[in-house]
Amino acid sequence: MRASSEASITLAGDLHARPAGSLAIAAAKFESSIELATAGRSADAKSVLSVMGIGATSGQVVTVRAIGPDAAQAVAAIAGILADATKVGS
Amino acid sequence: MSEAGRVGIVLVSHSAALAAGTAELAGQVGGGEVIVMPAGGTDDGRLGTSIAKIRHALAAADSGAGVVVLPDLGSSVLTVRALLADGEGLPEPLAVADAPFVEGAVAATIAAAVGGDVKAVASAAEEARRARKL
Repeated sequence: MRASSEASITLAGDLHARPAGSLAIAAAKFESSIELATAGRSADAKSVLSVMGIGATSGQVVTVRAIGPDAAQAVAAIAGILADATKVGS
Repeated sequence: MSEAGRVGIVLVSHSAALAAGTAELAGQVGGGEVIVMPAGGTDDGRLGTSIAKIRHALAAADSGAGVVVLPDLGSSVLTVRALLADGEGLPEPLAVADAPFVEGAVAATIAAAVGGDVKAVASAAEEARRARKL
């Protein structure tokens, strides 16, 4: 079954290199394809350079979309990392 | 994930500071899960490359799953090639990645952190060439 799932997060801070790494490592654990999208750009969540390349900054809305058998779990995990990792001071 | 642990990364640069800084950055982005060893500069601390430093870094980076080497430019590549041609006492498997130094190091470290083998880690480094930063 190809389930799809989606959630949007408003970033509390910029998406820096270290959280981009945590996000890519977490994304690799899921079978689903996972995309991050901002207003103008999108990234493959499993590619750290792609995640850094969207240059997501504080206040931007990032949409996490996953397609695959574990899409709902993938979106929950990645949205959680986005919310935690961009908290000011982290 | 193999029983032998994660693939290690060796960064060969003309500059000790460049190799060390890139190793620090890649290591932190990778969450400290992967051994990223710098091998920069000559034995007496000048700009250049050192077979002894590269050999030391290769041994330190190998935890049984093999090592991927990223050279920066020119004679780093030649020195790594000369070492490989010699062939003795090197980690197995060993791959040299034709990749941009910083982006390749970061991408390779993440690929190693998620349990990629030497081939997957070298490919991740080489694919970094296509990543856009703007």
